[in-house]
Amino acid sequence: MPFSAAALRRKARQHFTDPSRSRGLLVAFEGPDGSGKTTQRKLFKTWLKSEGYDVVTTKWNSSELIKPIISSRKSAHALSPEEFSLLHGADFRHRVEHEILPALWDGKLVIADRFLFTGLARDVARGLDLDWVLKLYQPLLWPDLVFYFAVSPVTSGKRVSAMRAPNFYEAGQDVTDVNDPVESYQRFIGRVIREYESLALIFNFITVDGEQSIGDQHRQIRRLFLEGRQRPWSEWNEDAVADWLAVNGRR
Amino acid sequence: MTRAVRTRAAKTRVRLIAVDGVDAAAVAAAARTALGGPSRGGISRWDASGVFQDLAVADRDAGAPSARTLLLLYAADLAFRLRWQIRPALAEGRIVVAAPYLATGMAFGRAAGLPSSWVMNLFRFAPRPDARIVVHRSRDGRRGSKDGFVGFACEHMAGCETDRARRTLLDAMAAFLRRYERAATARVRN
Repeated sequence: MPFSAAALRRKARQHFTDPSRSRGLLVAFEGPDGSGKTTQRKLFKTWLKSEGYDVVTTKWNSSELIKPIISSRKSAHALSPEEFSLLHGADFRHRVEHEILPALWDGKLVIADRFLFTGLARDVARGLDLDWVLKLYQPLLWPDLVFYFAVSPVTSGKRVSAMRAPNFYEAGQDVTDVNDPVESYQRFIGRVIREYESLALIFNFITVDGEQSIGDQHRQIRRLFLEGRQRPWSEWNEDAVADWLAVNGRR
Repeated sequence: MTRAVRTRAAKTRVRLIAVDGVDAAAVAAAARTALGGPSRGGISRWDASGVFQDLAVADRDAGAPSARTLLLLYAADLAFRLRWQIRPALAEGRIVVAAPYLATGMAFGRAAGLPSSWVMNLFRFAPRPDARIVVHRSRDGRRGSKDGFVGFACEHMAGCETDRARRTLLDAMAAFLRRYERAATARVRN
């Protein structure tokens, strides 16, 4: 190995704490389906660009390498909770290495429409052990800010089914054994929201009331972002950046 | 060693036999010998889920997967094999030869520099085998087979583009598997 792990961690820390360089920021939008996070993410991105930020968006389950593999297996309803979790973990890791960290290294602002907490909430709601799932995502990359859009299971269910029937895995039909997707969704999303609420406490998310008006939420997000963007770079991220530098060998 | 495991399987309640190694062709041959015949059970092979087959035709512009990504996919494939091949056959009282199984993934992860704690946690969902066979490389097999998970990883993984990098990875895997075999043998003796 050309560099020791300690040297790579030092390089990561120096890069992200260099005051002469505008450092990249990672902002995650989390919440159940129908919580309004995608609407808010789009408004936030438009505002950031108008403020002069160089913005990159990354969405859950979207890596060009792994997404087709997951999609074909989802269509066939062929995934166990472990396979579901591991494949989404692989998709996330590939995006971290090829989209998120390169953008952060270059000083960009990355908005993640769902982050690893989505994997944690859904996988634990499917009955997997939190400790096992959390370790799959190591080395952990902590966002600078996590906005959690809180809505009740009823609101989530109403908003999702107003537009379409929830799909098989979204509705948790692989674990509820309920044939009706709307009924299954209602049961499953209750479990997902309980997990999200625990994670919000443990990981100190910024909770946004997703039942408020769109305008009120957007104004709140702008204000919280302006307060939170000055936070120092988290040294918890040294391992994740060093791991990437070791693989990538660049810079 | 392989025949000895087969004899032991016939006499005892050994049901899940793991065959691991760097060279896929040698692992496949050892698996056939360990099973003895199709009437006794079956062999569970790598990529039964087709994940890696799909990955092989994926867009190259998407970027080469890292060792960590490949190992997550190896574990996903193993979860598939456990669900559809290994556990159902064991439940019917048949013998299953899993070739490769956990040690190949562990050796790959450790050789690629991944932390032991991460690798061990990854495979926590899989049952320990009743018997383990490690297939060592022959002198003419030093470069390793192009087939199987290890061959696939050497061809597709980020950081494995040169012959030297591949050789280093294979040598480190072989060293891990030797240590693993020694530890497993010591456990049986004790």
